[in-house]
Amino acid sequence: MSADHTRDPCPIVILNDFGGAFAMGVIGGCVWHGIKGFRNSPYGERRIGAISAIKARVPVVGGNFGVWGGLFSTFDCSVKAIRKREDPLNAIIAGFFTGGALAIRGGWRHTRNSAITCACLLGVFEGVGMMFQRYMAWQNKPIAPPLPDQQPLQ
Amino acid sequence: MASWLGFGGSSKKEDTTQQTSQINNNLGFDPSSISDVSSIISTPGGLDTSRLHPLAGLEKGVEYLDLEDENLTQLEGAQGLIPSRGWTDDLCYGTGAVYLLGLGLGGSYGFFEGLRNIPANSPGRLRLNTVLNHVTKRGPFLGNTAGVLALTYNLIDSTIDGLRGKHDAINSIAAGAISGALFKSTKGLKPAGIASGLMAGAAATWCGIKALLA
Repeated sequence: MSADHTRDPCPIVILNDFGGAFAMGVIGGCVWHGIKGFRNSPYGERRIGAISAIKARVPVVGGNFGVWGGLFSTFDCSVKAIRKREDPLNAIIAGFFTGGALAIRGGWRHTRNSAITCACLLGVFEGVGMMFQRYMAWQNKPIAPPLPDQQPLQ
Repeated sequence: MASWLGFGGSSKKEDTTQQTSQINNNLGFDPSSISDVSSIISTPGGLDTSRLHPLAGLEKGVEYLDLEDENLTQLEGAQGLIPSRGWTDDLCYGTGAVYLLGLGLGGSYGFFEGLRNIPANSPGRLRLNTVLNHVTKRGPFLGNTAGVLALTYNLIDSTIDGLRGKHDAINSIAAGAISGALFKSTKGLKPAGIASGLMAGAAATWCGIKALLA
């Protein structure tokens, strides 16, 4: 599998992933906590309730997303540098380390379970991605050009 | 064709000798003297990358941080410190860098705060936990705040860029002022004004640094 040229080269892509994941978390968190704060507020205070819920919780959601994405990208780059190849196993190993690193303060069992869960999740993602890639390749498969109409022999 | 008509045989022979000498000049070796492919490959200079395809630039090696030219942003004044493909790149890099900066600054502040607040005569595990608790209290708070500010700033900056059609310091300062005001807009007019001024100052400082570095 060749390198993906739509993304930047390795050390600097970590910043990009950090920012991208953070932005995703903030924008998604705005929608999520906006709706949640709106629904959980009493009538008459629903708009202000939504705004205060967004203010209180969205930066945290963004931070969680950002740290996850950045750590994953860091581990992905490290694994690429050590293994010197790019394949789906990279993402799974990186997911394993990410899950473990984020849960490391919860004790050995929690760390292990979290690492394995994260690796499985990334494995599923990679599998779905590969299936999708296969499907796209199958859809865009090369087709032989139609033969010109044969002239009747005279 | 000539031989088929029955005359001009001698001129044909001259032609072929001329052709073979021309081929030898082009290839650098005599194709008739070679019996198998491996001897061609092992010929020194036979597979020189710069001679294979001069336009492909194969002899330059791998170029780091070299994005496709047509993908880079064409906006006036937007050629910053790192190549950018448009507003999404600016957004991601800006937010990521500022978030990491905030996280690092807050984390180191929390680290020293934790070191100062270690309870006396405590076991090692408690000391470690005290320091870690302070780091994880200060670091993410400052990082999240800075990240949200940078995200708002970059979104507004890109919007103003798109509206005005160019990227300059005025846009940045205006975007900083707007994002600061928006950030403190629920606290009242005075805090919003102060935050606006601070963010505009930060944006102006960043523009100055960028002008110095570029």
